[in-house]
Amino acid sequence: MSDEPPRGSTSLPDSVDFPRLFDFYEIQSEDETRIHEFYANLDDGSLTTTECADCGELHFPPRVVCPECTSDDLSYASLPHTGTLHAFSVMRAGAPIGKVDDLPFVVGIVDLDGVDVRLSARIDDAEYDDLTIGDPVTLKVVDIEGPADLERVFYRFVPADADADVDA
Amino acid sequence: MTRNAAIVGGGHTDWGERDATWKDLAQEAGKATFDDVPDVGPPDVEGLFVGAVQPERFAFQSHVAPLVAELLGVEADSMIARTELACASGQAALRYAWLAIAAGQLDTALVIGVEKMNLPDGHDEEMQTSMSNVVDREFDGVNGLNAPTYFSFLGQRHMHEYGTTQEQLAKVAVKNKTHAANNPYAQFRMDIDVDDVLDSYPIAPPLHLFDCSGVTDGAAGLILMSEEKAREVTDEATYITGSGQSCMAGNSVNNVPSFSAWPQATVAAEQAYEQAGIDDPVKELDVAEIHDCFSISEIIEYEDLGWVEKGEGGQFIEDGRSELDGDIAVNPRGGLLGCGHPLGATGVSQALEVHKQFTGRVESARQVPDGPETGLIHNLSGSASVHSVMTLGRDPR
Ligand SMILES: CC(C)(COP(=O)(O)OP(=O)(O)OC[C@H]1O[C@@H](n2cnc3c(N)ncnc32)[C@H](O)[C@@H]1OP(=O)(O)O)[C@@H](O)C(=O)NCCC(=O)NCCS
Repeated sequence: MSDEPPRGSTSLPDSVDFPRLFDFYEIQSEDETRIHEFYANLDDGSLTTTECADCGELHFPPRVVCPECTSDDLSYASLPHTGTLHAFSVMRAGAPIGKVDDLPFVVGIVDLDGVDVRLSARIDDAEYDDLTIGDPVTLKVVDIEGPADLERVFYRFVPADADADVDA
Repeated sequence: MTRNAAIVGGGHTDWGERDATWKDLAQEAGKATFDDVPDVGPPDVEGLFVGAVQPERFAFQSHVAPLVAELLGVEADSMIARTELACASGQAALRYAWLAIAAGQLDTALVIGVEKMNLPDGHDEEMQTSMSNVVDREFDGVNGLNAPTYFSFLGQRHMHEYGTTQEQLAKVAVKNKTHAANNPYAQFRMDIDVDDVLDSYPIAPPLHLFDCSGVTDGAAGLILMSEEKAREVTDEATYITGSGQSCMAGNSVNNVPSFSAWPQATVAAEQAYEQAGIDDPVKELDVAEIHDCFSISEIIEYEDLGWVEKGEGGQFIEDGRSELDGDIAVNPRGGLLGCGHPLGATGVSQALEVHKQFTGRVESARQVPDGPETGLIHNLSGSASVHSVMTLGRDPR
């Protein structure tokens, strides 16, 4: 038998810090993303997106280069805060990081009123069984709470009659 | 000046929740593949193409193609690359190998697809996170869109627009999960009926648990050769007769063409049919392995691959036209619903199944009757923004 080899140890930190991006929400500040204006507008209560100054194309998601004409002369245009449900479901299991505590939650596809923009969104204040395709919904802005060093916001939608229901 | 390329053999690992690492799976698939083709060994391989979607997140490993070359002793002195096209990565690897051979760059290629999706216990959230970044993470994944929720929208819209029923969805799941019972490497080998599907957990309605593919560890491999070389090693080669792909400049919810139709699949299929000289796919295709990541997907594919009129996909399953003895035997392997879906490996496994169906080397219970001679594989990827279609034949085109 050969001699026992020397044995040591090495230690690792108990937790590992990943960039916050891995929680899905973009880091929204000017020093991280060139579409920070989209997030700043949302923080001010307005849903906007980019529009091309050269060809007039309205984009969603917002861009820094127009995919129609490759111009980079883009400006922010307001989007309507109302729309209708094109489709919806409820996530009951299999949630990714940061969303497990929210289960179950309703997700949907919203066609914004009067413009050719369709987006996915969480639908708050709604039960899956109460919803129907075509139901009207309105914008809601949520503050992303979490790490104190970042201010982040995102959009969701709620049924348009939600307030009415609460009052009734 | 393009040359024909042919599959001369391939191999498979067991699929499921495996007590094995990414590297273990790659080695198992490599061995099974070389064992199947005794006249070809690792030093003969000039090109290596590895389909793998997220080894960086699932196995914390990048630059995986040379890793596979080393593990399998493959020279790869002409071309080597890993392909990533989400759920179509395996077919993408096969397509590049075919193109390299067709272009005369090399004569012998190894195609390996590998995915290790199950993480250590307690990390399902991390695994699902890696599915939600396959769609546009910033604007869609962020809202909780992963595969089940995303495809639930397609199920709901298709039912809404065309009257497709929950029972028709369930019939697809029953067909494929019971086909898988005849496949020893499949993850979900089940003996179920429509009621079992409807009674399973409504995970993202209209999709129930049994309407879903799974979270799967697994790998598969193929050896591809130029026609001339293929004829030296086997008289039972499977030729690639056509291959098409389409994306249509859309990926996020606002920019994909539809939530009830995949015109990209139609474009990709028409490209492949034209190359293969197929005029009437329902009459001319004997077997198809198509991307049933969820039951609704297969129904939409019947339509958009050009097999039935738009909206008639539910009727196609209802009438038994995709059963083993139907017009086209669809997913005899068990599909993604039955075999599971180790992302990068699926397209490779589908092509291997078609090859084995042609050569009569599958378990008899899932053998397509009357000696199939023409086949097709199809994959969609990500938000179904891309569709990839390949036609295969016992004879070169
Ligand atoms: C549907 C899904 C969320 C279910 O995950 P889950 O709720 O965490 O389920 P678990 O892994 O805890 O499994 C619970 C039980 O269901 C079974 N099961 C899991 N997925 C199944 C499936 N797809 N089909 C049949 N049974 C399944 C398990 O075997 C287990 O059975 P047991 O209790 O008898 O052991 C998950 O399988 C999934 O995400 N599938 C899709 C994968 C994907 O995104 N692929 C890409 C497609 S584009």
